[in-house]
Amino acid sequence: MIKVGDEQVPWYEGMTIASLLAEREDGHTYAVVRLNGRLISRPKFESTLIPDNAEVILIPMVAGG
Amino acid sequence: MVELNTKEIKTTTYKRPEIERGYANQTLCIDLSRQDISIKPVSEKMKEVFVGGKGFDLWLLWNAVRGKTKWNDPENAICIASGPLGGTPTFPGSGKSIVTTISPTTGSVMDSNVGGYFGPYLKFSGFDALEVVGKGLGDTVILIDGIEQKIQILEIPGLPDDSYSLSAVLTDFFADGKKQDISVVSTGPGARHTLIGCLNFTWYDVKRKRVRYKQAGRGGIGTVFADKGIKAIVARWDSSVTLDTNHPADKEALKAVSKAYSREIRELDPKQNEMARIGTTHLVPIMNDFDLLPTHNFRYGQHPGANNIGREVYQHLFDPGFDGCWKGCAVACAHGVKDFVPMTGPYKGQKVFVDGPEYETIAGCGSNIGVFDPFTILEMNFYCDAYGLDTISVGTSIAFAMECFELGLITKEHTGGMDLSFGNRLSALELLHQMARGEGFGAIVGQGVRRMKEIFEKEYGADPNVMNDIGMESKGLEFSEYMTKESLAQQGGYGLALKGPQHDEAWLIFLDMVHNYMPTFEQKAEALHWFPMFRTWFGLCGLCKLPWNDIVPEDNKETPEPAKVMKHVQWYADYFRAVTGRNVTPDDLIRMSEAVYNFQRIFNLRMGYGRREHDSVPYRAMGPVTVEEYESRQDRYDKQLVEKYGVDITGKETAEKLAILRKFREEQYERLKDAVYERRGWTKDGIPTLKTVKRLGIDFPEVLEVLRANGVES
Repeated sequence: MIKVGDEQVPWYEGMTIASLLAEREDGHTYAVVRLNGRLISRPKFESTLIPDNAEVILIPMVAGG
Repeated sequence: MVELNTKEIKTTTYKRPEIERGYANQTLCIDLSRQDISIKPVSEKMKEVFVGGKGFDLWLLWNAVRGKTKWNDPENAICIASGPLGGTPTFPGSGKSIVTTISPTTGSVMDSNVGGYFGPYLKFSGFDALEVVGKGLGDTVILIDGIEQKIQILEIPGLPDDSYSLSAVLTDFFADGKKQDISVVSTGPGARHTLIGCLNFTWYDVKRKRVRYKQAGRGGIGTVFADKGIKAIVARWDSSVTLDTNHPADKEALKAVSKAYSREIRELDPKQNEMARIGTTHLVPIMNDFDLLPTHNFRYGQHPGANNIGREVYQHLFDPGFDGCWKGCAVACAHGVKDFVPMTGPYKGQKVFVDGPEYETIAGCGSNIGVFDPFTILEMNFYCDAYGLDTISVGTSIAFAMECFELGLITKEHTGGMDLSFGNRLSALELLHQMARGEGFGAIVGQGVRRMKEIFEKEYGADPNVMNDIGMESKGLEFSEYMTKESLAQQGGYGLALKGPQHDEAWLIFLDMVHNYMPTFEQKAEALHWFPMFRTWFGLCGLCKLPWNDIVPEDNKETPEPAKVMKHVQWYADYFRAVTGRNVTPDDLIRMSEAVYNFQRIFNLRMGYGRREHDSVPYRAMGPVTVEEYESRQDRYDKQLVEKYGVDITGKETAEKLAILRKFREEQYERLKDAVYERRGWTKDGIPTLKTVKRLGIDFPEVLEVLRANGVES
């Protein structure tokens, strides 16, 4: 299992940030997530594997600056 | 307490007015040449049209200067204001001061916003705004003592020259045992010897037992301050500020909206950007991943070394603590590093506290000059503040000089023997120290990018066309630190900003490029209307914009306009009503800003700027200047030429493709100007029409006269 915000989500081998978000209705709205405390941005979603027992926080980033 | 030899030049006592619904209803004017202190009433009309904060500053500045006033003329004013909501201790981000003046780098109106306690203390001492004109003798200290109800112009020789020590000494001297009652505005020797000086605004950090500061950085306001011979302006006010201090119209409503907002930030910031823990350093890796982090004078947006200068590193360097730059702010992003030991300069080998770095400083004094060492960035940050220099203009100016050096436009013969290759951190630090001393090549870099271009062309024979393409300034102001090549909306956000390319007016890069919230031309133009207007509103009221959209409600993405974060906009309308008693809707907030925004545009016109030609940006902001840049992202550019512009690129050399792309992108930017001007109710030359100024209630005779003089009569 992994934790996505407050939710428990089943983990599977080869799970990436991109595949996790693809399964969510609002997945397209996220450009940045925090995976075990580390920021991962959309260009790296496909290539970033999620380990089992990970904690993922979806960041609704619209601003900065 | 420190011993200082003070000479009293002028003292005035006054009766402090009660604050009514966020307003003191008077402003303070200090004429240093005439050694005169006067108090001016604030009319209801002034509140209605200009609201407060930047609006009041602009009105005072407008009345102080003429169209021909130069930055170093005595009549140029430095105006500092809070705003009607400023000083509320529980609503997040309510401690900003807004500073305006005629800028030494742009020749026109400059505004800069800054944290620290000065603005609220000024207001609670009885003044919605402060206007300083004339010139002092060099050691002038102005004291605004709201507790004793007196204003003093003093001369204090022998004070420390740099802002770091000066702030601490003056806090100690004026505190009367309670240092948290003091806020100091000061600058340093860098401001005196360059055109890119900043102002430091302090507060006393009770927990750490030290003076902290934030900067009004942009456009050389510190240089004007130093030129006026002002050493410091000190505000003294009883630090026990409460919700009642502003005497709000509806205290219960204020309490409710403040509580809701603070609770939301405390709950969501740890799940989102963690600004209370790591400030704005989270932006470094994110911008880098999206190819938006400027590196090597905005040539590229990405670098492998960026991992060394972002959140991952600074989270370990920041001194842990809850660091708000105003009381009770739940965002609390003002972090710092304690016991840092510089390796160069007058503080070499001594332990100092560094306030920062924030994202802009990391990118400006780091990646953009090819430095990926977090400690060099800390040292640049420390000395920029202590010397009174703007980290953004310093970074962008050094980056330009470094690229000119690498291109052979300047050589060691011009730099005093310094190797100015990108990444040469010792040279970057030496330039900074030279700026502070007004010596060597640093003194030239400290003139800013626009003047460097002139000097390099006239005195060193450098190619002006190349420099115009790569010199990252517009209107005379150096770009702040975002790559705009792939975001037309952000090109407009910079190029159409009233004071020059600073992101505080319109930060659209993520909304445009990453989220694609504004795919059409019309949507970009609409965004370049709404966002600058709403951001302007923060400056009218004495607020920080970070709480608005750096922490967003969890259901924001389900709202019709997620980019605007309308739940928060409504809270701001509620906040304004609760303090001032004026019933307003979110649309009213935009209209308030529109009046001031258009007034500022006309002010630019009065100063000889404010036309279409002044809204141009260097081509580096729009696209690849060199073959090397094009080829580094060839797939992207080739694809755009084929798919977006229908160009057959078969057999074309890079140089040819580069030229074709440039033509399209430059045309596109001009079309954007047309669309934005139309949306804002401006002529094709970028001037507000008569109809627009009438609609906004700024059709004063003097405004109409400026329009008439510029051919706008309908």
